[in-house]
Amino acid sequence: MAQRRAKIPSILLCAAILGAAIPTSQGAEESLEYQVKAAFLLNFVKFVEWPESAFADGNSSISICILGDDPFGKTLDQLIAGETVNGRKLAVERVRRIPPLKSCQVLFVNKSEQLLPALGPGVLTVGEGDHFVREGGIIGFVIDKRRVRFDINQTAAEKAELKLSSKLLSVARSVEK
Amino acid sequence: MRNLRDIPIGQKLMIIIMVTTTSALLLASLGIVFADSLLFRGYLRRDLSALTRIIADNSTAALAFDDPKSASETLAALRARPHVIGACIYRLNATILANYSRQNSFACPPPEIESAIRFTSDRLTVAAPVLLNGSRIGSLLLVYDLGEIYDRIVLYGGTVLGVLLASSALALLLSSRLRAVIATPISQLVSATTSVAQTGDYRIRAQRFSNDELGTLVDRFNEMLAGIQSRDDDLKKALLERELALMEVERERERFHFMAESMPQKIFTARPNGSIDYFNQQWALFTGLSLDQIAALGWTQFIHPDDREESARGWQDAISSGEPFHCEHRFRRADGVYRWHLTRALAMRDATAGISLWIASSTEIHQQKEKEDELRRANDDLQQFAYSASHDLQEPIRNVAVYSDLVAKKYHNVLDADGQQFLGFLQEGGRRLATLINDLLAYTRAGMAQVVEAPVSATSVFEHTLASLAEAIRESDAVVTSDVLPEVFMGESHLQQVFQNLIGNALKYRSEDAPRIHVSAGKRGAAWLFSVRDNGIGIDPRYKEKIFGVFKRLHHDHKYGGTGIGLAICQRVVERYGGRIWVESEPGQGATFFFTVPQSAQRVRSSAAESSAG
Repeated sequence: MAQRRAKIPSILLCAAILGAAIPTSQGAEESLEYQVKAAFLLNFVKFVEWPESAFADGNSSISICILGDDPFGKTLDQLIAGETVNGRKLAVERVRRIPPLKSCQVLFVNKSEQLLPALGPGVLTVGEGDHFVREGGIIGFVIDKRRVRFDINQTAAEKAELKLSSKLLSVARSVEK
Repeated sequence: MRNLRDIPIGQKLMIIIMVTTTSALLLASLGIVFADSLLFRGYLRRDLSALTRIIADNSTAALAFDDPKSASETLAALRARPHVIGACIYRLNATILANYSRQNSFACPPPEIESAIRFTSDRLTVAAPVLLNGSRIGSLLLVYDLGEIYDRIVLYGGTVLGVLLASSALALLLSSRLRAVIATPISQLVSATTSVAQTGDYRIRAQRFSNDELGTLVDRFNEMLAGIQSRDDDLKKALLERELALMEVERERERFHFMAESMPQKIFTARPNGSIDYFNQQWALFTGLSLDQIAALGWTQFIHPDDREESARGWQDAISSGEPFHCEHRFRRADGVYRWHLTRALAMRDATAGISLWIASSTEIHQQKEKEDELRRANDDLQQFAYSASHDLQEPIRNVAVYSDLVAKKYHNVLDADGQQFLGFLQEGGRRLATLINDLLAYTRAGMAQVVEAPVSATSVFEHTLASLAEAIRESDAVVTSDVLPEVFMGESHLQQVFQNLIGNALKYRSEDAPRIHVSAGKRGAAWLFSVRDNGIGIDPRYKEKIFGVFKRLHHDHKYGGTGIGLAICQRVVERYGGRIWVESEPGQGATFFFTVPQSAQRVRSSAAESSAG
């Protein structure tokens, strides 16, 4: 119980973020959009199954790596604090180049960065814009009717040996196969 | 309940069958409906919990990525369950992500934090959290319309009612046939008993239909009827017999009364206590009074005052002892004249030897009595005369004997042969005359009273007799013996007269052999029976009675002397003491004389010689 109580602040925060409207994607409200995206990023982890080969060992945490500039600020770090998914802790890392094998399970590619094809299996790539999934990314954030949504490239996910939950697929704006 | 108790068994059976069937069905139906609604609630609870969990699980992504459309699509699947009237998915901040309403009339209530299943009268509400990765990300509420349960109850109720009606109709149909199995034999039995009760005819029998208890009941009833019938027959027979017996009794009574009325005697009957309950008409004729007057006065009032006391005493004695009553007394006739009567009364006894009735008759014996008195007086006179004559004749006869002897002695030589012969005749005649006179005296004396105060030893009397007969015994060379003889209430001289005559006769009527005479005695009823047996010439049975007459002699030759008065004396003496004398004999076979003497003292019967005793 104590453990569960400890999570409540992040959950409340998450709910607060999700419950809020996202009027625009510009200006001062930039950070609200990324707060929602940070919550989505965390939720993606809960609907994706990695192969064992994606981790260095059984105890290593799920690392969410941010390639390029970090648009989330402190939000993501606050969200993942104390969270565990499938018995693994979560970690946020900021990287400048392609990370080595088994070091990142989630790779958020900033708009400014280019996704490199030779990334290897076991990495969930999350990017922004319609083009990201077309270019071989797995999940791409889009703004649809002023709401944050996402597209999924199922083929890319299969190539990366990841299993995406059907629930996740059901809430995606579009799924490419 | 009283009405139920009084209705016929057939209807009772039907009611019982119907009530039993109906209540069993109702109870079963209620049980089924109750169990079903319980089971259904349980099933609903489980089913809806599962449904809720599935929807919650399917809503995780929609909640996680805040996708109302996806959530609504998930909820739309509930359309397949017609009784789910509404569902809501809430975000963590209690806002509604999506809702489902079956008929657009459902509004989402505020969310519930805890999971719950709540039954209200018409709804089942299930609330559950939506969990993602063990954390609550929202909640779900589902409302189910319980109308289904009531639909089921109504359906069941309808079914039960239908089954109930159908089974009742069937039970009615079946019972009306089945109850005949029980009710018909009972009705038959009832009608049999009714007709027996109404007609009193016990030959009626109930018909047996089955081998069950009712069959046994019918059998027992018939056996009872047979028992009653035979008892009824017996009773009728007994009543008839009793009636016949009563008629017989009545006839006997009439016969008795007719007989009593037709008698010349005066008759009365008395109860065991001596009270008179009947007088015949002769009493009225004699006394000149009515029977009621006679009954009022009592019969003893007509007795002569001199006789009354003795009569009354005798009557009382008879009543207390039951012995026959016997009395001679004088009754007063209507004209006041007293007439002698002999009254006899005998007790009639019933089967238990108790006295049931005294029957008394009074016979007028006045003329007889007067004749008897006359006769007795004449007899007494005659006896007195005979005694006096015998007594007075003794003296001149003795003179004749004495002087003829003197003449024979003194003038023996004077008389010639003829004279001596004539004198011999004279002497013989004188002696015979003297003997005759003595016997006559003895005979008259035998009729005289002799007071017996103490018993007399027959043995000593016998010995005295032998002594007085000693010479005759010696002459005839006889042997006379006796048993031990008893003591008797009899005058000593009277008994000696009897012995002397009987033994004397035995010596006299001897055969060629020396006489053997034996005297014995034994009890015979209330009397002593004496016997004197000899081996003499015996007596022809023709003369058995005759020999006891005065001067009766069977033998007139000289060989057997005697006056022919001895046995008459014996008879007179024995009869005076109430005894009897007789002989048993065959000619040439000897004779045995028997006589009886009462064992106890007894009043001397006749008073014939009383007047001459002085």
